[in-house]
Amino acid sequence: MLVSLDWLKTYLPDLDKTPEELDEALTLIGFEVEDIHETGLPPLQNVVVGEVLEKAQHPNADRLSLCQVDVGTSENASIVCGATNYKVGDRVPVALPGAELPGGFVIKKTELRGVPSAGMMCSAKELGLGDDHAGLLILEDRPEIGTPINDLYSNNDTIIDVEITPNRPDCFSHIGIARELAAYFGLKLKYPDINTGGNSFSEDSGKSLLKGVTIEAPETCLYYSGYSIEGVKIAPSPSWLRQRIEAIGLRPINNVVDITNFVLHEYGQPLHAFDAGKIKGQEIIIRNATEEETITTLDEKERKLQTSDTLIADAERGLVVAGVMGSIDAEVDDNTTDIVLEAAWFTPKKIRKTSRQLGLSTDSSYRFERGVDPVAIDTAAYRTIDLILEIAGGTLHERAWKAGSNAVETTEIEITPDFIRERCGFGPEDEAIKESLTALEIEVNEGDSWKATIPSYRGDLTRPVDLVEEFLRIYGTDKIPEADVESRAFNRNHTREWTVRNAYSQYMRNKGYAEVYNYSLILDEETRLAPESDELALLALKNPISSDQTHLRPSMIPGLLNVLKRNQQHHSQTSAFYEWGRCYRKKGNELVECVAMGWIIQETEAKQWLNREPTDFFKLKAMVIDILRLAGVKYSENLVKTDSLPSFAQEGQFAVMGDIAKSGTQAEFGLLNLKQLKEMDIEGLVYAVNICITPDVLERKEKPIKYTPYTLFPPSYKDLALVADKKESASKIREALAKAGKAVSNKEMQVDAVELFDVYEGTGLEENQKSLAFNITFRGTSGTLKDEVVNKAFEEMQSIVEKKSPYRVRR
Amino acid sequence: MDEALKSIIQEAETKTRELTQRAQFEAVKAEFVGPNGSFTALRKEIGKLPKEQRPEYGKKINGVKESLESILSATLTRIEERELEAKIGPAIDPTLPSPDIQMGSEHPLTQVLNRIVDIFSKVGFTVAAGTEVESEYFCFDALNTPADHPARDMQDTYYINEEASFQNIKQKADERYVLRPHTSSVQIRTMLKEKPPLKILSPGRVFRRDTADATHSANFHQIEGLLVDKNLKVTDLKAILDYFARELLGKDAKVRFRPHFFPYTEPSFEVDFPAAHLGKVGKKWIEIMGCGMVDPTVFEAVGIDPNEYTGYAFGMGIERIAMIVYGVDDIRYFYQNDQRFLEQFSR
Repeated sequence: MLVSLDWLKTYLPDLDKTPEELDEALTLIGFEVEDIHETGLPPLQNVVVGEVLEKAQHPNADRLSLCQVDVGTSENASIVCGATNYKVGDRVPVALPGAELPGGFVIKKTELRGVPSAGMMCSAKELGLGDDHAGLLILEDRPEIGTPINDLYSNNDTIIDVEITPNRPDCFSHIGIARELAAYFGLKLKYPDINTGGNSFSEDSGKSLLKGVTIEAPETCLYYSGYSIEGVKIAPSPSWLRQRIEAIGLRPINNVVDITNFVLHEYGQPLHAFDAGKIKGQEIIIRNATEEETITTLDEKERKLQTSDTLIADAERGLVVAGVMGSIDAEVDDNTTDIVLEAAWFTPKKIRKTSRQLGLSTDSSYRFERGVDPVAIDTAAYRTIDLILEIAGGTLHERAWKAGSNAVETTEIEITPDFIRERCGFGPEDEAIKESLTALEIEVNEGDSWKATIPSYRGDLTRPVDLVEEFLRIYGTDKIPEADVESRAFNRNHTREWTVRNAYSQYMRNKGYAEVYNYSLILDEETRLAPESDELALLALKNPISSDQTHLRPSMIPGLLNVLKRNQQHHSQTSAFYEWGRCYRKKGNELVECVAMGWIIQETEAKQWLNREPTDFFKLKAMVIDILRLAGVKYSENLVKTDSLPSFAQEGQFAVMGDIAKSGTQAEFGLLNLKQLKEMDIEGLVYAVNICITPDVLERKEKPIKYTPYTLFPPSYKDLALVADKKESASKIREALAKAGKAVSNKEMQVDAVELFDVYEGTGLEENQKSLAFNITFRGTSGTLKDEVVNKAFEEMQSIVEKKSPYRVRR
Repeated sequence: MDEALKSIIQEAETKTRELTQRAQFEAVKAEFVGPNGSFTALRKEIGKLPKEQRPEYGKKINGVKESLESILSATLTRIEERELEAKIGPAIDPTLPSPDIQMGSEHPLTQVLNRIVDIFSKVGFTVAAGTEVESEYFCFDALNTPADHPARDMQDTYYINEEASFQNIKQKADERYVLRPHTSSVQIRTMLKEKPPLKILSPGRVFRRDTADATHSANFHQIEGLLVDKNLKVTDLKAILDYFARELLGKDAKVRFRPHFFPYTEPSFEVDFPAAHLGKVGKKWIEIMGCGMVDPTVFEAVGIDPNEYTGYAFGMGIERIAMIVYGVDDIRYFYQNDQRFLEQFSR
């Protein structure tokens, strides 16, 4: 909100603070100052009105003139001037020696091209009055010669742009801000003198321009008052009023409208003046809009209303969207003579709804939405009437129409000074606490506990704790003493998610990856990059703000690919990126939010003086297993799928482990589709991983580790190769052999490990076959194994495998 | 026989002199001490000698044996050394660059976040987590911000399509899902789940419906702190944030409290850092976070007795702190992920 310091001072005559001091004070009592700037003519010494008596050519310079100027002293000033837009007889501002113009330019007696010059005739810009520097500022009104220039332009002011928090609607007004400053600086607040009063009116008889006021929408209109003034003269406002209106960035319209705007910014109470002649049937009805009803508001837009919107209407039509904006139909114009003044109180919720519905926020709706001071409604009306009578003339009618009520119960808060001191952790004597509160016009009655009576405009103060803040604001938050940090143990661990995140981050960093942050919102097309993409329409946002951020991400890979692409343009070295975040997947008909870990690597074939093995699927797989272990999830070959891959996968080079919907974990990893990469202008092989884990999986308790004794007897080893179909998965084949191992294990002898060490295809095998070679470890539990025992077990294993699986032992 | 013994030594010296391979060595060794070796044969001769000659011959044999052993072991040592040398290869130039990928980097936002978590962890705060999609109740209503509250104006929020529901995000009733505009929902859920005293941090990603520019981003990150205990005072809140400023900025740094308004705290403050500590000139203070004493209404919403417990909460933007600490002037750099940007934060 814009606050004029000059205006403010009318309520705070003793305020003598600099703009900087006000900035700090407002900031420290909770009103952030967003901007502070000076307007109008700055105070200037030795700059007066002068009249050009003579204008002659400068003897030594073609472009200069030599003027004799009457500046109101006994002697005329002889001044050299370069401007050309003036003539003899013009009155202009003259800066005499000793004057300091804005920007620090000091005027001295000097010589210009050999001719003495005793001052300077000024342009508007040179005085700090705007940007016009085309020529001298000609004073068309011909003010008295010798008048100090500040007397002509007395509207210098300081404008402060103050941010008002939503809990302080009372401060959307100059009096509100003045009250705060008065409290903080300990100044006396001078409220405006008002002549009109409650006893000026009769509520049931007497003359009026209205025949009636009816509230048909009591849920919107709590209180409505209408006053009549006959015979006003609509004219431009006097200069002081124009100055006030302009200072806060409004455009003066006419005296009556300006007065209502002035009082709105003085008291924070929106008012409305009707041309009484335009009120059909001389009655005012506050009613809800009818179906399909429209109204053309003052901004000349036709507005379609809903039945929940409320209108101030006459017998025939709506005249004002209640609390928001008037219509052009009842506007006060140059021909208006009779006025009905409205001062009302509307339900914040309702005004807010209508304002939103219409997409129309006005000074009026803004204040009604947040809540006006019910008591000040009458005061503001009386103030407005005073000003109209004073400025626009006219006669006030005796009858005031009032409907509803603005009576409110006074809030009383019971509080003790000890409570305030306890909550603050410090505090002065009772008296100083009381002073802070009374400075805010809170009445404090002392007793065993205090009764604090809250002014009607402070609807935000209802509880003792609210007064703690009030005390702190006025007493000064800078007085909060320093204290030690008290810290007792709470025996709570970081969430596992946090620990896993850090472990993951360290792991990836140590592997040479750089962490990136992508947006959680992605393009529609990018969601298709995830598995089951056809079902991901659910990921769309209801109210996106830009076309490239419309969907929740189902995978980290689209973002990582973009990072790769962006960096490809700048770098030729290996690119390896990782990210931590959230992504969204389907589970049944619902979505689940998952913790997501993704990484991507592209190795360039740049020349190296020493060759290194490039990344491949199995390097990636090892990392996936590691990361899952860090997350407390066991990688299982049984859960690996090579069908139904995400669309960005390169078939035959990609795998999916787990199922988010079943186990809460899913890892997708491998080579990205080369064709698609090419379409994205990404050359070469790119490997990527996306791991989704639902948070509950991370929070699962870790299984306790239990020691089992190990035997010290040396193991025996046997090698065995199994022939199987080419398409058969290695894990299945190994599983069959391990099962056979289990079958032959007994108390004395165990098959400890079955490990694959070779894969062979080619000579000696059929075309669709492969051979996998395993190393089997046998271990005795009570002694070194005898060869016969091992051989027997080995034989048995072979026959079991051949009997129970489709695999053949390669002999 | 003496001759034979003597010549064995000579022969051994000659034959081993040029040996370079272990296999050759073994062969040569066998020629002398193997089962059919010449020395083995000579040793066996001792049995054929008359008894009285045996001690003398034995002495000689032993002498030769020692010499032979020392020749052989010296040879072996020489071979092993050569083998080792071969294994080691020629001397390297240590100034050649390593072709291997080196340690990567953590994102500056992660680094700042970790630093902040570390500072608060030292005084007993622990991290709690929550989801980024949330329901309206936990973002607003439970935080004393009902639907018609003007404060909802301050947070323009992303909504999820009504058809979508989230299996692992529980609503209060059937209110709408949003992308959380702050991490305070974590505090609400933690207070509902755990009993006070509580001392938690809730770091994470948050969302506002802002048009992207140098200071606005569709998503950004926050960290909030919450302490719920008995007899907490404003001075405790000031103390913890002064401590934070000292830890982050240096010994003599402290914060400034400005009264402010948040629906979920009373009293509420905005907190400034001294600009001088951030290497900024022209301004005395820089706004860094919001804080306050937990509003009794919030406690009531989560079933904590406000007469028994008090609490404080604070929250700050990670990007904002990172921008100030690292001197980054545009928030979008954090999301462009240019290697030339990222590698500057590699330590």
